[in-house]
Amino acid sequence: MQTPAYQLSGIKKYYNRRQVADIQELTLSAGSITGFVGPNGCGKSTLLNMLAFVDSPSEGTILYKGQKAHPFSEAVRFRVSLLPQEPCLLKRSVFENIAYGLKLRGFNKSQYLKKVNDALMLVGLSPDNFSNRLWYQLSGGEVHRVALAARLVLKPEVLILDEPTAGVDVVSAQQIMDSALMASKEWGTTLVIAGHDWKWLHEICDNVIQMLNGKIIGKSLENILYGPWNQVSTGLYEKILNDGQRILVQGDSPLTSFAAIIPQRFINISANPPVQKPDEHLLKGVLVSLSLEPAANAVMLSVRIGGQKFTLQIPLEKAKENNIFPGQIIYITYPISSVVWY
Amino acid sequence: MNFLIDALFQSFRLLISGNQETYSAIFATLKVSTYSMVVSLIIGIPLGFILGHHDFLLKKQIRTLVDTLMSLPTVLVGLLVYSLLTHRGPLGQYGLLFSLEGIAIGQAILALPIVIALTAASVESIDDKLRVTFISLGANPRQILLSTLWETRYSILSACMNAYGRVLTEVGISIIVGGNIKWHTRTITTAITLETNKGEFVMGVALGLVLLVIAGLVNYSLSFLRKR
Repeated sequence: MQTPAYQLSGIKKYYNRRQVADIQELTLSAGSITGFVGPNGCGKSTLLNMLAFVDSPSEGTILYKGQKAHPFSEAVRFRVSLLPQEPCLLKRSVFENIAYGLKLRGFNKSQYLKKVNDALMLVGLSPDNFSNRLWYQLSGGEVHRVALAARLVLKPEVLILDEPTAGVDVVSAQQIMDSALMASKEWGTTLVIAGHDWKWLHEICDNVIQMLNGKIIGKSLENILYGPWNQVSTGLYEKILNDGQRILVQGDSPLTSFAAIIPQRFINISANPPVQKPDEHLLKGVLVSLSLEPAANAVMLSVRIGGQKFTLQIPLEKAKENNIFPGQIIYITYPISSVVWY
Repeated sequence: MNFLIDALFQSFRLLISGNQETYSAIFATLKVSTYSMVVSLIIGIPLGFILGHHDFLLKKQIRTLVDTLMSLPTVLVGLLVYSLLTHRGPLGQYGLLFSLEGIAIGQAILALPIVIALTAASVESIDDKLRVTFISLGANPRQILLSTLWETRYSILSACMNAYGRVLTEVGISIIVGGNIKWHTRTITTAITLETNKGEFVMGVALGLVLLVIAGLVNYSLSFLRKR
């Protein structure tokens, strides 16, 4: 069995005594594509920085290919590369920016000239037009592409992309996605991607991990319902939606600001009003989008209920049987005791 | 107005005619300012990097002290260096009083806080994203230090220009430590003081314009480097 790329155990990270990450166990296979999704501030970037060995955990261990690793250790220095959410170029030409990592690895100009040009073409930029441009002569999307080229030219074993397409024009975003996938396919690069584009992530990733409050909450796209919650009776809480419907959940005296998750496996959907069980709650919404998840042979549904979006995965066959389509009225039911508080 | 026009022509005449006394002062000025700048940059840039990049005990207090020392009065530095270099002073045995080297020591003390403070400020202003970039591309701590200095080169260049401007135009240290000795330690600023005392205002302003030309040439050279 191949040694996993990463094995994390007991990872905790604190900033000024505030816990920002708490990952009990996490294993990422070598050559896999893993996506991390979650709201802003949920700890994705913190985790990615630790996976990239840019930052160290306050507690716990990270094994890279079975070896304990930390920032600057030889086991990872030339093997793992991070593309931050807002990449920063050096105050040099595009060529020099891309060649920087190669120079650190001891390549001379005759060796890296072709590599740099190839990397530029990989991200869809013409070497003739871009090599000599200075860092301030690039658009936002071009900065992202040059920064990605500076990583791709190193052919890293692990490429970590933190929201690679955020704030980037459509053409650049597509090019970034294609280039990253090429690295995975052609070189067997392990890809770790954080983002909000869950449709794309579900389409390309072997695993999509959802995070909330610094913790991993599941490997499927869970529906996070943020507070405030109103107490209806002992152990019963409600959240009023825009259209007057209410989400009812059961719990043990949570803080009203807590986030609740109704695990997908407990949610049933139907195109017709279902027969409601005594402990179940019924909500009515509109199906707003459908997307295919080829890896899981499933369809991802987005149902909007009074301003709250529910995302559900159903088998492809079931979607065909029910003949569902966007714009359709959809009913969802869930046991009110199925909630998990965060 | 005529007075200033006369001074302008006089300054060109001084430069073009190769007036030996003027050129002696120019060379003395360039020599001491070069010595002092080399010393202050060699000591000041690493100290500025440490102050800007690292966190340590009393950092804030040291930073405040360095910032305050940027406003050091030149006569105070002159007096301090004089007391160190005088025959009765701790460094009197080296015979540096009334020498260009003595003036350079004083000017280096004057420039050092400027170089340290402005280097620290430019290193502090560097985004943490740059550090992440260096690590992501495989740099080790030594390479990060050198690359960070290279990335702040324009700001450090500005720090040099500031410090050079202060050194070039100071008069307190040159006159107290150098003694304004003709053909020896007379710099342009001390020559201006002398000419003004003699009532030779046109000559004084002309020398001032010469100083301005030198400062302009230095700044132009640094700006040229910046464009590269």
